[in-house]
Amino acid sequence: MRKAASVILTLCIIAILLVPVSELPEFGSENSPAHNYVSKTYLEEAMHETGAMNIITGIILDYRAFDTFIEATVMFAGAMVVLLLLRKEGEDNEQHYS
Amino acid sequence: MERLIANYVEVCAIMLFGVGFMTLLMHNNMIKKIIGLNIMDTAVFLFFIAKGYISGKQAPIVVGKLEEASAYINPVPTSLMLTGIVVAVSTTALALALTLRLHQKYGTIELDEIIRLREA
Amino acid sequence: MSSTILSVVSSVVIPFIQLFGVYVIINGHISPGGGFAGGTIIGASLILYRMVSGSDAARNRYPYSRLIKITCFSLLSYGLIKGYSFINGGLDLHMYDLPIGTPGNIFSGRYLLPLNIFVGAIVASVMYFFYSLFSEGEI
Repeated sequence: MRKAASVILTLCIIAILLVPVSELPEFGSENSPAHNYVSKTYLEEAMHETGAMNIITGIILDYRAFDTFIEATVMFAGAMVVLLLLRKEGEDNEQHYS
Repeated sequence: MERLIANYVEVCAIMLFGVGFMTLLMHNNMIKKIIGLNIMDTAVFLFFIAKGYISGKQAPIVVGKLEEASAYINPVPTSLMLTGIVVAVSTTALALALTLRLHQKYGTIELDEIIRLREA
Repeated sequence: MSSTILSVVSSVVIPFIQLFGVYVIINGHISPGGGFAGGTIIGASLILYRMVSGSDAARNRYPYSRLIKITCFSLLSYGLIKGYSFINGGLDLHMYDLPIGTPGNIFSGRYLLPLNIFVGAIVASVMYFFYSLFSEGEI
């Protein structure tokens, strides 16, 4: 019963998602509305303003450095939570200074 | 209908999303559910990065001389998804740590047994 | 997991893996790569050392207090350097900035090299923490 319902639900979701895909522009076409003035400005000004030859590094570490900072914070927070959950007891007693 | 064959990368991404979704729903084991979540993440990344490709142009790395802006592909989707991949790794690690604590407390990782043990 | 072949071969291979990871981090703004890929490579070499030599030798060589200090210092320094650079450029204060140099050198771009190094340190340390906590429960 549960398996039949899940199969029908998944097929419905795939069918609903395939309807807009048939109206997207072609894969790899030049004049799709996703390539507008934003990417043109990034490609022309990145080497002159940031001094990087790898344009993607120039974007993620100079124009959008705040996103990279938040991502490093998310990774650090994930490591802290795993440390809190999985550490064994008795480990902290060795490092206490009296 | 011909568009579906021309956009084969996006169709494969949605099939992968469906596979991950069915893995999430059908199994009782916690680790298989977490694998299903990770597969859905990968499908979304594939769909988004495929929107930046222009056929016949080169990668956005300057070799020698900077060419004009219409000789490179779109660099914006790649740099946005770099953040998403790292967040997916952190989410999977956190979910697996919670599964380990569940196993320490209840002795099993099947979901219906855990629900039965909690109601008893 | 301590056989003689693994110990001898890994003691030859691990320095080369770390050298390659440092190369990918430092040339992050000239060739493909950058902080995240290089940090993963260095983290993989730390995990290999812990797998082959056991947890006592790994705890002597990479102690927990040193790794956590490196991670926290890198995250705070990334925030301070990028905050200073944003305020300096946004309010037109014209205080001291690193020079932009000629594209193609390693010391070019204003703050690209220090930021790549900090991101690489954070990613390598987090990968090592994940492995050691899941396999044994202590770092």
